[in-house]
Amino acid sequence: MAIDTEKLSGAESLRKTRTYGKVRCHNPSCMERLQPPAGADHIKCPTCGMEYRIYWVNPNLPRIRGPVWDVNRKLAEDKLASINKSKSKKAAKKGGD
Amino acid sequence: MEKVLMINYQKCTGCRLCELVCSVMHDGVSNPARSRIKVMKWEAEGLYIPMSCQQCEDAPCMNVCPVKAISRDEDLGFVMVDYVICIGCRSCVAVCPFGAMNYNSIDKKVFKCDLCGGDPQCVRFCEVNAIEYVDADRLSTFKKKDAAERLSVAQKEAGALQAAI
Amino acid sequence: MALDRKIAYIDLSTGEIEIKPIPLDVRKKFLGGRGLDAYLLYNNKEQGCDPLARGNTLMISGGILTATCASATARTHVMAKSPLTGLLGSANMGGFFAPEMAWAGFHHLVIKGKAEKPVYLWIHNGEIEIRDAANLWGKTTTETQWAIREELGDDEIKSAVIGPAGENLVRFANVMTGIKNSAGRTGMGCVMGSKNLKAVAARGTMDIKIAHPVDALEYNKRFINQITSAKVNQTQGTLGTPFIWGATNSWGGIRTRNFQYNQCENADDIEPERIDEICEETMGPYHMTGCFGCQVHCRAQYKIPSGPYAGKYDEGPEYTSQGAFGGEPDCKNAVTVLTGNHLVDQYGMDNLETGSLISWAMELYELGIITSKDTDGLDLKFGNDEALLEMITRICYRDGWLADTLADGGIPASEKIGKDSFSYLIQVKGMSNLHSDERATPALALNIATGSRGSDHLRSRPAIDLYHLPEEVLRKIYSNPVPYDGPLSSEHTSYDGKPWMVFWQENCYMGVDCLCICKYHTTFLGATLPNFEDWTKVIYYNTGLDMTPKEIWDVAERCYNIERLFNLREGLQREDLKKGDTLNHRYYDEPCRRGAIDVIGATIDRKKFKKMIDEYYGHHGWDENGVPTPETLKRLGLDQEPSHLL
Repeated sequence: MAIDTEKLSGAESLRKTRTYGKVRCHNPSCMERLQPPAGADHIKCPTCGMEYRIYWVNPNLPRIRGPVWDVNRKLAEDKLASINKSKSKKAAKKGGD
Repeated sequence: MEKVLMINYQKCTGCRLCELVCSVMHDGVSNPARSRIKVMKWEAEGLYIPMSCQQCEDAPCMNVCPVKAISRDEDLGFVMVDYVICIGCRSCVAVCPFGAMNYNSIDKKVFKCDLCGGDPQCVRFCEVNAIEYVDADRLSTFKKKDAAERLSVAQKEAGALQAAI
Repeated sequence: MALDRKIAYIDLSTGEIEIKPIPLDVRKKFLGGRGLDAYLLYNNKEQGCDPLARGNTLMISGGILTATCASATARTHVMAKSPLTGLLGSANMGGFFAPEMAWAGFHHLVIKGKAEKPVYLWIHNGEIEIRDAANLWGKTTTETQWAIREELGDDEIKSAVIGPAGENLVRFANVMTGIKNSAGRTGMGCVMGSKNLKAVAARGTMDIKIAHPVDALEYNKRFINQITSAKVNQTQGTLGTPFIWGATNSWGGIRTRNFQYNQCENADDIEPERIDEICEETMGPYHMTGCFGCQVHCRAQYKIPSGPYAGKYDEGPEYTSQGAFGGEPDCKNAVTVLTGNHLVDQYGMDNLETGSLISWAMELYELGIITSKDTDGLDLKFGNDEALLEMITRICYRDGWLADTLADGGIPASEKIGKDSFSYLIQVKGMSNLHSDERATPALALNIATGSRGSDHLRSRPAIDLYHLPEEVLRKIYSNPVPYDGPLSSEHTSYDGKPWMVFWQENCYMGVDCLCICKYHTTFLGATLPNFEDWTKVIYYNTGLDMTPKEIWDVAERCYNIERLFNLREGLQREDLKKGDTLNHRYYDEPCRRGAIDVIGATIDRKKFKKMIDEYYGHHGWDENGVPTPETLKRLGLDQEPSHLL
């Protein structure tokens, strides 16, 4: 087997696409890349408003530890309420037909 | 400059990659029984301690060898066995205070760490740096620094505790 | 040829032992580990026999790379017909067992029959002995291992053992080695128990030849670097697998209160960072350990800090224990998770199945489907930590009606409990789902519905789907080693192209399981980790076997199809809610109520999901019922199965 030791495999070549120092917002349609300031313990997504607690694996590697509970809970409840509202409207419409 | 293996067992994760690469490097096969370094384990309490040759100055193995097959390498300073002279009596195995002189029952030979000719593979592969290859005279400096750091942390904690009271 | 490996056939009924070499042509077709086990199972097990009868065959094996100079060839694979699902039983564990078995002269064991009384196997430098295990019966998993060492007088013996759960035929009992390494799913420990086989002990000092030792050593350095440079493995090496909890619970992917919520709220005490603090407090700053040859070191060490088991040493807890004893039963205390983990490790019982079934019982209790009479007075409410821990012990010893019922597995239990208990049981093919909630992630839902060993995250989960990788990156991964130009979507809420991703991951994980290296060393949680192309090199340098990436892919596909054939032979049918490629109705009917804004309201779309399954079958070359077509079998060289090559 002749292996070109210089040549990178497909997976190895993907390393250059890596980003450091960033986390992604956890909201599926947002997925904004967020860059917490060094040592910051939380960050708010400027796009969708979700807020996260940050933990640093090492000085270049932040990760989301979890949500800021009261902020994200409120966002979730508002969304749930709006879904229920539109559902009940639809149901009312159906009932009227 | 003479260099030695410095083992910090607290950092050892117990994976035994060092044993594997040692046997592949020296014998071209995978077999920890042929490894010059060996991780001793107390698995029930999660304690792992790699053991290897200390390359003693006044080496008991060298002293006990009845045919003078053991000598010191002049360039790198490690203790080595000359297999042309060695009669396989295992006296060196018996006297080594660290159990670092091994006996291989497949080839019927004693064997020990030769620092891989200056590029110890156990060091190269240990990513947690439980084994490092350092100048012999700096070994104590590293230890001092470690101990000092522990003291400093303890002092800070004590200070914080005092302030809290 | 460096590949001179041996297989041993052991008949526990007659005591006969036959040792054979593994021919090269069989190697090339099935590689080793899980792939070769699947072939052996299909060829050796009596069709349709009861999983606990003599006719069931148990395989314990290493892979083609086991004990070679490749990073972390630590995995042991165990296979048999599952007493939990009645279908394929297959589980995989880390630790040090398979390499030790390899140095003792064997890569595969095929264990048939049943011993008259408890025995264990002693494998030592090319020899196998069946020994009396009367003194070991009743002992926990670690007690058993230490007792074997003492009896045989060698501290370096590695054993794969069962605990009391396996002896008591708990249908989801583990095979275990070390403190916590578990071949945990599908009840392989129960099969060992049914054969009166308490342990397999190995110790060896035989050489494993390396085809090209200098190159193997050099390439291993590069291989390890590829693995440890991944951000995900640096995180794992710090926090262990619990690290997954952070993101997953944040967006709303943690099944809580059985399946009522998709987020465990305010669970700060069981967050990985908190668990890591406890590990550090009890074991010091260097509290991570690893399996054989692994530089990722994802396993934490801890001592239980308080409670009735205070001071007990254990390892983990893994992400599964966090969910099984934290999220699902809604017991948000680190000490509970650590204690639950310790108990199942000692009993030798699947943490995931145990926690899931108890959480299911909790929901049934709160709904009044079971009552305090059924629980013998135990107040089995969500969030009752003591009740949770008590139930773990009761299940292991089948103590009381409910525990005895649950110990038989979810589906038999639902039939015994009756009413509409089955509709609350979160399972696929009779095996409980991981605590992850897949309602917002169609690809992951497809993965659990179709996994060959039942609901499972380690058979085909395209976990990198959650990373929102650019399409060109996805294409680079998923169109190798076979071309794919169909759709691929970066959106993990999408249904587009996901069947291909699941199909690709299936082959990737089958490949890993044939090599018996760890899934954290391949395209599972990180995009830059090794797969087919990288494996060609590591296989060649170590074994001399010269294969192309496509040839390894073909092996994987072949082995996966054998598993499918086995499942079909044992009764799998596409739409069967108990034995098919299906999901619990709650995935379609109950919208997510927690988590990230856009996860709220998410469900799996029934029609789109059905289409995904059709598409997935299509990629496999299976018909609309999920049966491999004659052309597919011919293409993979499986048209003559069972072929009895070995």
